[in-house]
Amino acid sequence: MLLLLQALSVRGRQWCHGYDLMKETGLMSGTLYPLLMRMAEQGLIEAEWREPAQTGRPARHVYRLTTAGAAFAQVASDRGAVPSPKAVFA
Amino acid sequence: MRAAVAQSLMALATYCLGDDRREWAQAMQAEYDEAGAEGRQLGFAAGCLIAAWREMPRHVEGRLILADHALALGLLVPVAFLQFACAIGLSSGQSGVYGMLAMARTEDPYLANAQFSAVPVLLALWLLLGAAHLRLAWALLDRDWGRVVQAGSMIAAAALTLVMMVGVLGLHAAFLAPVVGVMVIELIFVMAASRRHGCITTEVTLVHSTW
Repeated sequence: MLLLLQALSVRGRQWCHGYDLMKETGLMSGTLYPLLMRMAEQGLIEAEWREPAQTGRPARHVYRLTTAGAAFAQVASDRGAVPSPKAVFA
Repeated sequence: MRAAVAQSLMALATYCLGDDRREWAQAMQAEYDEAGAEGRQLGFAAGCLIAAWREMPRHVEGRLILADHALALGLLVPVAFLQFACAIGLSSGQSGVYGMLAMARTEDPYLANAQFSAVPVLLALWLLLGAAHLRLAWALLDRDWGRVVQAGSMIAAAALTLVMMVGVLGLHAAFLAPVVGVMVIELIFVMAASRRHGCITTEVTLVHSTW
């Protein structure tokens, strides 16, 4: 999760695709998507659909950290580990 | 071949994610196309399936799918094979249609003739019970409640006919008791699963009202 938080926080408010995150973090899809789902449920990331750059391709999901997610990433970065989101935002 | 396997894995992942996570399944499918452009679709699809399996216990629909699979593969399919085994007398030396005939030992030649004449019908009914169980398991996994009701009705009709014929022919009904008992239990489980899916419709009521 730390890897994913780092990859997303480096991009700031920029949107990025799931496959790009996979390549960047080295996480497999079986690890990445459960993390993304969990982070979206916890309000750490936001997602939206984007039209594809090439015609004939399906619309793609893009992700970025929310304000709460960015704060959480900052705390995680400072501590060097991933704290519980509930503990941070309590 | 690899593409076909990968596409099958993606379809299975989509199924496992269910309606609750349909949007995530679509997101995975879109990225699958990107992975395919780089020739990594098989690994990506396998990962998506693992992700879907990991998510299943976390949402209601996933838990229902797991329960349906447990019911179908853990109870219905074994009972189907039990029916086949009982019908042809494989479960023990004195069971099934031939076991019932061996135990009958009637001295009435007319009754004995009737019992022997009924063997093909009894055998067909018992095999039909087994086949109906396989159909029920398939329909349950497809979550096709119309077919579930049909298969359940077929099982009930075949079992009732079998019991009646065994009674009329004066055969030993004790052979049927465990089989019928297991069927009642499994049909209760199937009804419970259907209710949990919230898919018991008026169609079910109509089918039951015909009994």
